[in-house]
Amino acid sequence: MSAAASAPRPRLAALGRRPLDALGSLMRRSPKAAAGIVILLVLSLMAISAPLWTSYDPTSLAFKSMLTPSRLHPLGTTFVGQDILSQLLYGARFTMLIGLLTGLIATLIGTAVGISAAYFGGRFDEIVNGIINVVLVLPGFPLLIVAAALLENAGDWAIIIVISLTGWAWGARVLRAQAMTLRRRDFIDAAVSTGEGPGRIIFREMLPNLSGIIAANFFGTALYGVLSESGLKFIGVGDVTQPSWGSMLYWAAGHTALLKGAWWWVMAPGLCIALLGTSFALLNFAIDEIANPKAANAGRLRAARRGKGRVLASQSAAQTLTRPNMKIQPPNPAALLSVRHLTAGYQTPQGPVRAVRNVSLDVMPGEFLGLAGESGCGKSTLAFAATRLLAEPGEVFSGQSVLEGVDLLTLSESELRRRRWKDYSMVFQASMNVLNPVLRVREQLYDAMQAHGVTDKAKLDARARELFGLVGIRESYLDVYPHQLSGGMKQRVVIAIALALEPKLVVLDEPTTALDVVVQRQILEEIQAVRRRLGIGIVMITHDLSLLTEMSDRIAIMYAGEIVEEAPSSVLQSAPLHPYTRRLMTAFPPLGGERTRREGIPGRPPSLALDLTGCPFAERCDSVMPICSLQKPVLSDLSPGHRVACFLHASPEQLTLAKPEVNHVLASD
Amino acid sequence: MLYLLRKFALLLLTLFVAATINFFLPRLIPGDAVGAMMAKYQGNLSPQAADALRLAYGLGNEGSAFQEYLKYLVKLLHGDFGRSITQFPTPAADVIAAAAPWTIGLIGVCTLISFLIGSALGLYSAWKGNQRFASALPAIGLFLGALPYFWVGSLLVYVFSLWHNVFPLGGNLDPFIGDSFTPKWWSSMLRHAVLPACSIIITAVGGWLVTMRNNAVSVMGEDYLAFARAKGLSERRILSRYVLRNAMLPSLTGFGIALGFVVGGSILVEQVYSYPGLGYYLFSAVTSKDFPLMQAIFLIISAAVLIANFLVDILYTFLDPRVRTGLGA
Ligand SMILES: Nc1ncnc2c1ncn2[C@@H]1O[C@H](COP(=O)(O)OP(=O)(O)O)[C@@H](O)[C@H]1O
Ligand code: SF4
Ligand SMILES: [Mg+2]
Repeated sequence: MSAAASAPRPRLAALGRRPLDALGSLMRRSPKAAAGIVILLVLSLMAISAPLWTSYDPTSLAFKSMLTPSRLHPLGTTFVGQDILSQLLYGARFTMLIGLLTGLIATLIGTAVGISAAYFGGRFDEIVNGIINVVLVLPGFPLLIVAAALLENAGDWAIIIVISLTGWAWGARVLRAQAMTLRRRDFIDAAVSTGEGPGRIIFREMLPNLSGIIAANFFGTALYGVLSESGLKFIGVGDVTQPSWGSMLYWAAGHTALLKGAWWWVMAPGLCIALLGTSFALLNFAIDEIANPKAANAGRLRAARRGKGRVLASQSAAQTLTRPNMKIQPPNPAALLSVRHLTAGYQTPQGPVRAVRNVSLDVMPGEFLGLAGESGCGKSTLAFAATRLLAEPGEVFSGQSVLEGVDLLTLSESELRRRRWKDYSMVFQASMNVLNPVLRVREQLYDAMQAHGVTDKAKLDARARELFGLVGIRESYLDVYPHQLSGGMKQRVVIAIALALEPKLVVLDEPTTALDVVVQRQILEEIQAVRRRLGIGIVMITHDLSLLTEMSDRIAIMYAGEIVEEAPSSVLQSAPLHPYTRRLMTAFPPLGGERTRREGIPGRPPSLALDLTGCPFAERCDSVMPICSLQKPVLSDLSPGHRVACFLHASPEQLTLAKPEVNHVLASD
Repeated sequence: MLYLLRKFALLLLTLFVAATINFFLPRLIPGDAVGAMMAKYQGNLSPQAADALRLAYGLGNEGSAFQEYLKYLVKLLHGDFGRSITQFPTPAADVIAAAAPWTIGLIGVCTLISFLIGSALGLYSAWKGNQRFASALPAIGLFLGALPYFWVGSLLVYVFSLWHNVFPLGGNLDPFIGDSFTPKWWSSMLRHAVLPACSIIITAVGGWLVTMRNNAVSVMGEDYLAFARAKGLSERRILSRYVLRNAMLPSLTGFGIALGFVVGGSILVEQVYSYPGLGYYLFSAVTSKDFPLMQAIFLIISAAVLIANFLVDILYTFLDPRVRTGLGA
């Protein structure tokens, strides 16, 4: 098996492999696409079955001039006595053919140009990109008119070619950009390194991944083709004796149909063009939306924020507790933040993903709590859900998150806005992109404070300087834009913003993962210093456990959406109990130690789309026992403050409780 | 300012390409197109005009094609666009000079209005994502954008001039209006402009709407927006300083391309309303086979679009700090 074959091949635009599957999935996923396909089918049927609907020849001059609509001529007749309905039906053939052909040719050119520019790169790409840009800004239609008028005797093919030649550049630009990001992906590199030729790579590896964008572009240029053709015909360029919707409009205008009151002569073909154009535009839009899921997902972001009705806070806690040996725990009144039975995740087309599963966790005032676990085990989801920042398709399914006695998940929008940042703040995981690129750093620091009532300019300025001093940045950096900062600087700015209102709780989601070790160290030391000074509570998330044991008071280990062990930092360091925690400890050697010694944990965490019956770690656990895959170990206290969910450390009571069920299952095997 | 320099270089290059296409296009047409064209004029073409035409399309055989090309470029630089055949010996430049202000005024103002309305609606649609009207807007935008401009023009004429006599049928001014820029002139000018303007705006709004909606939706998925929400900023501030400020940037970088489409559609509207701008003359040049005039109009439209585009590029540098401070857009 070659490396190329084993490397995963993501489908950027997963529209299915066979055209019919793709069509079906497209229609199911997007009502817009479904509408576009239906309109297109109806118009195509109309074009194909024209002889069934009318027995007249569209070019025959057999009738009286300018008849009004009647049973014999539902759309009347033209000035020279042609039946308008038959012209409309037969005209559909030509207009649609033009649209499809220009769409096809322009897309072929655009795809070839865009992909080869991206594939070969270098000077070739520069030149091609220059050409694309020139063609793009050159107004196509006036050029089209001149060229088509000069080519008048060359017939419709010439016009199709000319339309395509003015319409390919947009597709080339989009495809070039997409193909370039694709070119940098691993699986293409793998293919190149196994010696696959350019043709094979382009056709086997790249084209399938670009199919969505190519399809979208096809419909976009088909729309351009239809509108261009009708415009050209309307001013009499090209063969206007050939029945098409454009030439109908030409003759209608030439014989002043509207002045004579024959509005249907103008209305019908124009409406048909509009319908055909709309169907192309809908398909272009819908496919594009699916091929760029970012745009599609963000549309639902608002829904999450508004959908507070879905948070079924306390009543639902009971629902998730189906096991008899689990008790509902009330929030801890002494804690700063008390998360109880929180279950959250994502609604996906394949069903819900439960990324956080019945998690209960406390943060005491002024405490530094570490949250560790491999990536993908739900740490960020927990942080977002507990702070009510989870956006669609994310959703809190049940549970409570009580900050100083108030459940954040049931707060009203305005109440929530008041508390955000003032009571708790958060430093996001992907912090490189967290600052607004068009606003100065100062403004982004100010607006957080202004939103919470600090409006005095002098005070704002003084505080801004103070904060920058706190995180170790020169004050002059207040007036730069985010792109002028390095990664480490940006992260410090974000931390400064997070501390601006001296909140009681700061959640840091992998605040330093993207930074190099020295900067990481510095920033973490500053965070520690500030925390000690201000007495704020901190939740720090990372997949690097050794980092946490140095800094935290207490550590919680998360695996597959659940807390599997929780203990004071020193206890966890000296006596980790859960087999997963032990593996994590060896996977990340102490900070500053040999990084090369790092070994991952073999295997992968289970999919969070599944409901797991046994211990989630069973598949990868060295100490796995028969009971482990049959029943879920419960998180229970071993000593004060040390909780673990593993049958190796289960109380005898828990094991006996489990027994009858286990015996039953074993017996039925 | 490297960004603007690059854009200016593109402007010059594109103008040069437009001029070059203009020169070589008639010479590339298979068969003896020019000969056929001459034949069509036989009889109703003055000898001088015939000579001029022959010269313009390289039938004079005075030098190599390359020499002629250079001569042509020099002439262009001096503002000499050749002579109109149908209105011989009027220079094409004179016809253009009379027509261009009407087109630039009409299309310029309409582009601005449709950009503002369309972008506002697009932003609204993205922001209010799941409300009925807001979520129907993109589909409406797509429909409007698929309408042929000239057809919308025809319908408006039918409804508002023929059926209800609200606005004039066509033209740009009432006859015998007297001096320009008097109140009477303005009122007549505006009354004549309403229907053509509406035709352009109705159709052009769709494109801006869909573009802005997509931009805004993608900005709303950015981390900096989630961060702004986490900061507890007011909706108003998030909308104006975070969503709008970022979402308008791609609309502006794509402005030149979109403008080309709008202008292409709009020049047909002039034909519907006999509005004496460049589009109208382009049409009459096409029907009367006045190729020099046709080509001159193509050049001038290209130049206008490119210059407008460059102005937008200048505006862009004020709105995006990344290009202002030297990092590519
Ligand atoms: N937008 C999303 N849609 C569907 N699943 C998601 C989404 N975001 C995250 N997930 C899933 O949720 C799980 C937890 O993700 P996350 O909370 O980011 O983990 P961590 O922060 O520990 O790396 C992952 O398995 C991931 O596949
Ligand atoms: S419960 Fe069993 S499988 Fe799970 S960690 Fe403990 S020993 Fe391993
Ligand atoms: Mg994470």
